[in-house]
Amino acid sequence: MRRPFSKVLHVVASLKVAIVLFILIALYIVIGTLIPQHGAPQMYLDRYPTLGKLILTLDLDTSYSSTIFIILVILFAINLTTCTLLSIKGQMRQQRSSFFPVHLSSEYALTDITSEEAHAYLSKKRYKVVEEEQGTLKASKFRWGVFGSTLTHIGLLVLFLGGTITQCLSTETMVNLMPGQSRMFQEQGFVLRVDDFHMTFEDDGSVKQYISDVTATDIATGETRSDQMWVNKPFRYKNLGFYQASFGWTGHLHVADQESKELLTHGDVRAGGTYFHEDTHTTVYLYGYYPEFAIGHGQQPISLSNREINPHFAVVLYEFNNPVDTYIVEPGDEITHNGIVYSFTHATAYTGLLVRSDPSFPVILASFIIILLGMFVSFYCYPRFILYSEGKIITSSRRNEWVFFHSVKKGFSDRS
Amino acid sequence: MDMYMTIENGAFMVAFAFYIISTLLHLLLVTKIAEKVEKGALLSALLGIASHTVAMVVRTIGAGRLPLSNQYEFALSFAWGIVLSYLVLYLLYRISVIGAFVMPLALLVFGYASLQSKAVRPLMPALRSGWLTFHVGTAILSYGAFALACAISVMYLIDEKRSEDHRLLKDREASDILSYRVIVFGVLMLTLVIISGSIWAQKAWSRYWAWDPKETWSLITWIIYAIYLHLRLRRSWKGRSAAWFSIIGFISVVFTFVGVNVLLPSIHSYA
Repeated sequence: MRRPFSKVLHVVASLKVAIVLFILIALYIVIGTLIPQHGAPQMYLDRYPTLGKLILTLDLDTSYSSTIFIILVILFAINLTTCTLLSIKGQMRQQRSSFFPVHLSSEYALTDITSEEAHAYLSKKRYKVVEEEQGTLKASKFRWGVFGSTLTHIGLLVLFLGGTITQCLSTETMVNLMPGQSRMFQEQGFVLRVDDFHMTFEDDGSVKQYISDVTATDIATGETRSDQMWVNKPFRYKNLGFYQASFGWTGHLHVADQESKELLTHGDVRAGGTYFHEDTHTTVYLYGYYPEFAIGHGQQPISLSNREINPHFAVVLYEFNNPVDTYIVEPGDEITHNGIVYSFTHATAYTGLLVRSDPSFPVILASFIIILLGMFVSFYCYPRFILYSEGKIITSSRRNEWVFFHSVKKGFSDRS
Repeated sequence: MDMYMTIENGAFMVAFAFYIISTLLHLLLVTKIAEKVEKGALLSALLGIASHTVAMVVRTIGAGRLPLSNQYEFALSFAWGIVLSYLVLYLLYRISVIGAFVMPLALLVFGYASLQSKAVRPLMPALRSGWLTFHVGTAILSYGAFALACAISVMYLIDEKRSEDHRLLKDREASDILSYRVIVFGVLMLTLVIISGSIWAQKAWSRYWAWDPKETWSLITWIIYAIYLHLRLRRSWKGRSAAWFSIIGFISVVFTFVGVNVLLPSIHSYA
C-alpha cells in the first residue's frame, strides 16, 4: 500500500511537475499582460471575433484571479510543499558532521597535491577538517547551506500564504475629503479629519508633491494623532493605511436672486458634479475647473498645470434636462438664467485617500527575507566537501559540482 | 541647466563615438588580427565609459538626482552597467573576446538611449522615494549581468561548430561556468528588484503587487531564470541547453525593458 502512495508523492514533488507548472503559470501571466483585463464581456467579443468566446470561457479577461490560475498556483504550492518535506530528511542527514559523500566522482579530482598544500589550502579557506588514517583528510564547509533551497521554497510558500491573506482579508476603499471634512471609521473606532490639502510645485509647473494634513481621533478615548502624509508616506492608524491616491477640485457656487440680489444658497460642487435649482428646474453642471486655463488643440479647455494662475470654470446649464448653454467663466463671473444668478467664487482642492487594510504585509515581508536568505545560501554557501588522499583532491558539492571543482582548481593554480 | 545639457550632450556624443570604435575593434577580436587590436578595443571601451560616466554625473548634478527615472536615463544607465560588467569581467578573467558580443549590445542600448527624449523632467511624486535608487540600481546590475551572460552564451553556441583552435573561448567548460555565475548574480539582483519594487509599491500605491505589465514581465523573467537554475543545479543542465536558456532569458529582459513600454500600457511607462 505504501509504495504506490510514495510513488505518487514523489511524482507530485518532482522537478518535472514543478517545471511544467512554472511554464504554465508563466504562459498564463504572459497572456494576462497581452489581453486587457477586467473589460466588459462584449468588448472581448468585438475586439477578438474569433477568440473572444475562448477568452471569456478560460477567464483570460481576469487572468490573475481566474479559477485556472488559482488552481495552477495551488498545484505549484502543493508541489513545493511536498518537494520541501521530502527533501528535509535527507538534508538533515547531510548536515550532520558525521556525513561525508560516499561516491566521489573522479571527474572532479586534482592530482599531485602534497599534504602540506592540501592542509594550507583547507585552513586558508576555513574548512572543517577531519584527519583519518594514512593522512586522509575529510574537509567540509557550509554544511548548513544544504537548507538553502528549502529556505527559498519556504519563503515562496510564506509568500503564497501572504497572497492568500491579502485575497481573503484585505479591504480597500476610497474617500474624497475637502479640508475640514471628516470620515468616521466605525469598526476601528476613530474619526479621520483632513486639516489641509495642498500641492507643491516644480518650476515647470508640474506637481512636486500632494500633501494632506490629517488628524485621527479615537472615539473612545478622545486621543488624537496628527500627521502629514503624501505619496510614498502613508498615514497608518489602527490597522488602516491611508494613501495619498488622487485629488480633485470643487467650485464654491453662489446662487442669488437676480432682482433682490439675495443669496439663496451656496455650497461646493465637485468638478463633474451638479447643482439642481428646483424652482427653475435648472441644473448647473460643473464640467471642469482649470487652475491654469488654456484652450487646447481640439478647442477644448485644458489646464497647463495645477497652479491657480489663471483659474476658470467650465459650466453647462440644463433646463428640464435640455442643454441651455455652456460657459467658461472666471471666479466671481455671473451666469444669469431665469432670474437666478449663478457664480463660482473660488475653487478648493480635495484629497483622494485610498484606505486599505491588509494584514498580510508582515507575512509578505517575512517571505521576502526568507527568499533572499535562501537564495543567497543556495548560490554562495552551498555545502562543499573535499577528500584528500594519496596526493589527490576530490571535490564534491552535490548541487554545484563543476563550479565548486573549478574554484578549488583555481585556488590551487593560484598557489602554484 | 543649459550648460549642464551642453556638457552632457558633448560627453554623450564622445562616449557614443568611442563605443562605436570599441565595438568595431572588439568585432575584429574574432579575426586573426585580434592581438593587434585588443589594446585599442579595450582602451576605446575605457574612454567610452569614462565619457559615459561624465555624461551621467553631469546629468545627476544638473537634475539634482540620479539619472534613473525615465527611458533615456534608464537606457543610459543600463548601457553603462553592461560596459562596466564587461570591463570588470575582463579585469577578473582577462577574456577580451567577450567584448565582441557585449559591446554591440551596449552600443544598441546606448543607441536606443539616443532616440529617447533627453529633457530633464522633475520626478513625479510617486518616484520621490529612497527606494528609487535601490530598485533601479539593482535592475541595472541585474540587466547588465543578463546581457553579459547572453553574450557568453552566444559565444558558447558559436564555438560549438568551431574546431578547438578556432574557438572564441578556449575553455568551453569555463565559459559555461562563467555564464552560470553571472546569471546567478543577475537572478539575485532581479529578486532584489522585484522585492524592493513590491515594498515601494506598498508604500506608494498600497499594494505590493498589482499585476502591472512591467512587474509581471519581471516575474516572467524571474521564472525563466528560476527554471534555468533548477535544471542546472538539479539536472546538471549545462552547455548548449543552458546557453539557449540564457539567451531566452535575456530576450525576456529586453522585452521587459523596451517591449512592455512600447506595447503594453503600464504604470511603469516612465521607466
